[in-house]
Amino acid sequence: MKTIPPPCPEPDSGPKYWRSLDHLAENQEFRRWVENEFPSGVNEMADPVSRRHFVQIMSASFLLAGFGLTGCRRPVETILPFSKAPENYVHGKPQFFATAMPTRGSAIPLLAKSNDGRPTKVEGNPQHPDSNGATDRFAQASILGLYDPDRTIHFRKGANTTTREEGLSALSDLAGQAKTKQGAGLSFLLEQSSSPSRARLQQAVSQKLPQAKWYSYEPVDFSIHRQAASAVLGKPVTPYFKLDAAKVIVSLDCDFIGSEEDSYIHIRRFAKGRRLVKPTDTMSRLYVVEGLYTLTGANADHRLRVAPSQTLAIAARLAQEVLKQSGAADFSASLATLAGAAKANEKWIVECAKDLLASGGQGVVVAGYTQPLAVHVIATAINVALGSVGKTVDYHAAPDAELGGIAELAQALNAGQVENLVIVGGNPVYNAPADLDWVKTQRKAKNVVRLGYYEDETFAVSDWHLPLAHYLESWGDARTADGTVVAVQPLIEPLFGGITELEVLARVGGLDKAGPYEIVRETFRGIAGASEESWKKFLHDGFLADSASPRVSVQMDWSAATKVIADAKPLPAPGQGKLEVIFHRDYKLDDGRFNNNGWLLELPDPVTKMTWENVILLSEKTAKDLGVESHDPERAKVMTQRVKVTLNGRTVEGPVWIQPGQADDTVSLALGYGREKTGRVGKKCGYNAYLVRATGGLYLAAGASVAGTGESHQLATTQHHGSMEGRPIIREANMSEFQKNPRFAKGMNMEAPPSSQPLYPNPLDELQKKATHAWGMSIDLNSCVGCSACVVACQSENNIPIVGKDQVARGREMHWIRIDRYYAGEVTDPQMVNQPMLCQHCESAPCESVCPVNATVHDEEGLNVMVYNRCVGTRYCSNNCPYKVRRFNYFDFNKRPLDRLYDSPLWSKTDGEWELKRWFKDVDRSSRPEDEWELLKLVKNPDVTVRMRGVMEKCSFCVQRIEQAKIAQKVKAGPTGDVEVPDGTIQTACQQACPAEAIVFGNIKDPNSRVSKLKAQERNYSVLEFLATRPRLTYLARVRNPNPAMPDYQAMPLSLKEWEEKGNEIEGSEPHAEHEAGAEKKAEKGARE
Amino acid sequence: MSEPTSKLPVQAAPIELEREPLVGDLHGPGWLSDKIAGVIEAKTPLWWWCAFIPSLVLLGMCGTCIAYLISTGVGVWGLNHPIMWGWAIINFVWWIGIGHAGTLISAILFLLRQRWRTSINRAAEAMTIFAVMCAGTYPVIHIGRVWFGWWLMPFPNSNGPIWPQFRSPLMWDVFAVSTYFTVSLLFWYMGLIPDLAVMRDRSKTKMRKFAYGLFSLGWTGSNRHWSNYEKAYLLLAGLSTPLVLSVHSIVSLDFAVSQLPGWHTTIFPPYFVAGAVYSGFGMVLTLLIPLRSMLKLEQVITMRHIDLMCKVTLGVGCIVSYAYGMEYFIAWYSGNPYEKSTFWNRLFGSYWWGGWLMITCNAMVPQLFWFKGIRQNLVIVFILSILVNVGMWAERFVIVVGSLYHEFLPSNWSYYMPTKIDVLTYVGTFGLFFTFFLLFIRFVPLIAISEVKGVTPQADPHHPLGGAKPGGHH
Repeated sequence: MKTIPPPCPEPDSGPKYWRSLDHLAENQEFRRWVENEFPSGVNEMADPVSRRHFVQIMSASFLLAGFGLTGCRRPVETILPFSKAPENYVHGKPQFFATAMPTRGSAIPLLAKSNDGRPTKVEGNPQHPDSNGATDRFAQASILGLYDPDRTIHFRKGANTTTREEGLSALSDLAGQAKTKQGAGLSFLLEQSSSPSRARLQQAVSQKLPQAKWYSYEPVDFSIHRQAASAVLGKPVTPYFKLDAAKVIVSLDCDFIGSEEDSYIHIRRFAKGRRLVKPTDTMSRLYVVEGLYTLTGANADHRLRVAPSQTLAIAARLAQEVLKQSGAADFSASLATLAGAAKANEKWIVECAKDLLASGGQGVVVAGYTQPLAVHVIATAINVALGSVGKTVDYHAAPDAELGGIAELAQALNAGQVENLVIVGGNPVYNAPADLDWVKTQRKAKNVVRLGYYEDETFAVSDWHLPLAHYLESWGDARTADGTVVAVQPLIEPLFGGITELEVLARVGGLDKAGPYEIVRETFRGIAGASEESWKKFLHDGFLADSASPRVSVQMDWSAATKVIADAKPLPAPGQGKLEVIFHRDYKLDDGRFNNNGWLLELPDPVTKMTWENVILLSEKTAKDLGVESHDPERAKVMTQRVKVTLNGRTVEGPVWIQPGQADDTVSLALGYGREKTGRVGKKCGYNAYLVRATGGLYLAAGASVAGTGESHQLATTQHHGSMEGRPIIREANMSEFQKNPRFAKGMNMEAPPSSQPLYPNPLDELQKKATHAWGMSIDLNSCVGCSACVVACQSENNIPIVGKDQVARGREMHWIRIDRYYAGEVTDPQMVNQPMLCQHCESAPCESVCPVNATVHDEEGLNVMVYNRCVGTRYCSNNCPYKVRRFNYFDFNKRPLDRLYDSPLWSKTDGEWELKRWFKDVDRSSRPEDEWELLKLVKNPDVTVRMRGVMEKCSFCVQRIEQAKIAQKVKAGPTGDVEVPDGTIQTACQQACPAEAIVFGNIKDPNSRVSKLKAQERNYSVLEFLATRPRLTYLARVRNPNPAMPDYQAMPLSLKEWEEKGNEIEGSEPHAEHEAGAEKKAEKGARE
Repeated sequence: MSEPTSKLPVQAAPIELEREPLVGDLHGPGWLSDKIAGVIEAKTPLWWWCAFIPSLVLLGMCGTCIAYLISTGVGVWGLNHPIMWGWAIINFVWWIGIGHAGTLISAILFLLRQRWRTSINRAAEAMTIFAVMCAGTYPVIHIGRVWFGWWLMPFPNSNGPIWPQFRSPLMWDVFAVSTYFTVSLLFWYMGLIPDLAVMRDRSKTKMRKFAYGLFSLGWTGSNRHWSNYEKAYLLLAGLSTPLVLSVHSIVSLDFAVSQLPGWHTTIFPPYFVAGAVYSGFGMVLTLLIPLRSMLKLEQVITMRHIDLMCKVTLGVGCIVSYAYGMEYFIAWYSGNPYEKSTFWNRLFGSYWWGGWLMITCNAMVPQLFWFKGIRQNLVIVFILSILVNVGMWAERFVIVVGSLYHEFLPSNWSYYMPTKIDVLTYVGTFGLFFTFFLLFIRFVPLIAISEVKGVTPQADPHHPLGGAKPGGHH
């Protein structure tokens, strides 16, 4: 489906519909309604959710659409059926609205799909200049958060439920108090935000309440990039890395592919810089210095495994080499003192520096958020010295928001200076540094007002709790990584009457216009002028064109840099008994903000493949030193030991996991788990690393000890076996091999049967020849970084249920696309490879011939289609699938609560009523709690069947999108009969989400389609080709680009080595000599012509 | 009964070459009828109740497990993502294998004029029917949506019409198993008719007379009846014979048709049939050894029978061993690394115990039957017969789970463990089996009275005891 929004209609001249706020404001009654803002019946918001209530809310969203939006949105309507259908609205046809998901210092521009008023899926905004339609796993999963039954649905005073009016009047009381005291005693604790409106409000409020204090806290803070750049470049700037332009990338513990902010843009640019078409193409080279095995390390050509504390020394030594000719003498001198500790890796660093210098200004060094300022400063210095500024890194103006940190707030609280504390977002009781003892500290404020999404740990110790609106329910704005202003506009009225951050600030500040829409509109006026047309375009496009922050030319301030370096206090090297702790942002839950999101909890961690909890990562050697036993992968249950990590007298306990490639004597603790108060989904998941995290060692801390507790613990991992066992499943070679033998991947094929032609021709073959389309997919393993955004996107698009930890541990997860992760080489420092694995849509599909009821069949366009309502569940198809991509509904995962899967309806009860009786009354009823059930139904994609138990399911290549596009094309074609869907119109959900553009889907009958051209590439191969299943999904082999001068240079990728050790040899095959699928041949031929 | 004397010179072979009689020197046909019918007519022995009540309990447990399974979902079993077939299919194949001996004994041995079958065929056939019932339960309950199981049947319908997929071996299974069951049941019942008539004639209560009368279909024992009966019996034997071979061949195709290393093997059909006969004879031995002593039928089911069955077991055991060897040879000879890895895993992988158990019990244990001393020792034969079935269960486990748990893509590799429900359902099917078998013992002559009389010495005109003699008893 192409998700370009429909063209913005011209403003209507007739007064048929209310078109704008001003228009509406002429109406006295409506004006009162606007002021009051909450029509009668709002009290009901506080009541438990009923089905009727939901219908009301849903219809109310229609109201909102008309109230706020202009021509692009559906006009005001009531719950009554349309007597006159609104323009551009076809019942059942989804609409797309541009919005954005705000992140800490950035935002992800989105197109949200709305089905009859409810958002069901988000996609990247393809028109946005920087993101080009990419998203990440968090954005994909955020839609589930909207319908989270555990989100705050009430305004609360203490523990008591109150009404929205009371909540708001409490805010006005606060505003009144603050006004009289000019804001004295009032403190705000905010989260980071890139919103221009918030910045404007903050200024406006500060003017009114000059004594009010502002603080912000992010447990995982990426602003160090800006801090470092601003400190040494003389201006408030933030770096913007153009990794696509880089030839050599050096990451100093910077996980830009996985856990840095805006990783989806980094991935897109990184993948672009490594995309290969011909053997003569060049690709970038990535050097990574890291202690934890991250996705960035997985994609590295050279990975140096060191404890993160040693990165500073390595950075200094690297800088020394690079700065030999340039740089300030003082600076070099301070580098020398730091660089001493990097002796062990001398050759690695020197060769890396040589490569950087040889890149001719197309090298770039990036430092990670976990690293101290000094490392960032050194990285900046190297980039400046290399002449990379303007080539691979730009500096954008980034004024400082000038907010205090949480430690300062704690001081103020302890000093009794805070009377009223307004906490907007965030959950400091859970995630504030442990030494601040936040529960007690926060209580020192007389009155704590908190705006939050969940009734969480902070909720429990606040005086007032206001429900926060989801971004899909809110008016707002934000800036993306490059500074482009994007719109955050609601697709639905707040389901539970939540309010936004902007509204709270405006109300507490006593500003005149407190409506979030007005605030955003006002800000926009300030940015782009008063023109109504540009506002409409802004909302329609989702961003303001050419609003990116200005690029600033910078000058290195060497003395400032020298000072930072001189002040650097390197952590001691870790050793036995004094381990180094790495606190890292979790790949799935971020800092804990997605803790109650089932899709993310069940998403296998891209590296460890762990679901539902975090683990304590140790290297094999460290575990051995500590006497901690590793799990036995050959057992049914993945059992591991629980250990205690003690750091500065604080202790946390969790399950241990031996992570290949982890630096010795380091312990990795992922943030975001172990919540005490959270929703039904997130409870009892993992351990809380914040318990041992204190100021001064927020990301790295030295001197920890680990001791076994003697208890064992069961984990739920989706992949038990990490080695490819020398099988040519993911094929890879070094650049040099690729240049010599571009067809290396095909040279690794096993002998296929002499003829895969069946004795009797398949009657479908004729139909296939006649069909307009032949669908196929290509996945470039050289681009895929393993980020797993596709997995969540697929889950969202295809209504895939979550199954819970217990079921994952039993191997029953339902993901249609999974990322297979293999290690090759020694367990101490292996290479990692990733492969997205989904239904291969084999032309000769083994699953089809064994189904006794014809439930899985082939269509004439080459799709292997699954007929759910025909399936009886013999599961033979899965047994016969060599790729094992089929998933079986062992239980009614959709209808039953995950903790009651094993309760037979024959003898269990729900709400005191016999289950069987309930079932007879209404088959479509669920045994889930009513509120959960009603909300979960809303998140489903109405174009995809929700499968019941006993049914097999699998990837359909998003057949619903294919059909929609075909229908649209047929309508468009009319009598011309041109029903061929243009290339690029259909994007599968995984493809659309993929930030690396690794997945391409299309018509392989068309030799000029993108997918045909990719399949014609020499790296193209199919997995298990010798089985003659002839998959329609083929892969492009991965190419590594190592530097032969490096000490850790491998003449061939380790997985290839393992394959060759099995007695295999790459065949230097002649073109056209081997057997190929017919369609593929044609595509190739076409591409050559 | 007086001792008959012969005045004619006996042209007998030297004593050492003479075959042992199939049944011992019985006290005449009347005694035989009394003996066999007496099992039914006597007061129900205590041991029968001791066996029957636990069997009923197990049957109830089986039903409960199945009810739980169907109402809750297949997830109550230990299946998981790569291993989508587990105990259900293992047990299905195992039970159906056991169900092979009966029809083989009654049909193939009948056609081959192996007259020793007469003492054991009835019980073996009953065993077959009940084993197939146990087996047949599994394919039905193992599917995800049991209530749509009838979609496997080709029936005219208005939905298109949609037919089953005739390329699928599961489809063939439906036909193979149901045909086998039907023919086996008919064959068994057919053979029962004269004996039911005997029971009717001996009945002392009205109830019995009516019931046996109903099922004996008005049998009078006239020449015409006997003539028709023998023809029909021969025909059914002819019909059953190919079925014995086809059923397990087709069951084996459930595996052989797939792509999976360890399943994708052309040797499977004969290998499975041999295995089935092997396990079937194992089970017949397991059942008959205690039964003959409990019911004091040592003179009817003689040591000669035991000996012969041991020899058959040895023979098919050797075929099975050859098949194992051939599998390994092909895995090596094919040069296919996936195949090699699967077979390596059978012996040295996570389920090594299954592989070794299978080889020990199926290839090594039957070699003991080369020794007459062992064949004559009932205790040892009984133990070995149980080992045969343990081994055959292990074989099915190794094939089903051992091939699925580690296959093409290592990322899928996993492990399988049955749940309590898996185990209880399996144990429960023994309840089903024994409930029916014990009822069979109580109400149906467990030895074919009419047939076994034909192999007594008295029935042999050349035997000193036999021949039609004036004034002799009949």
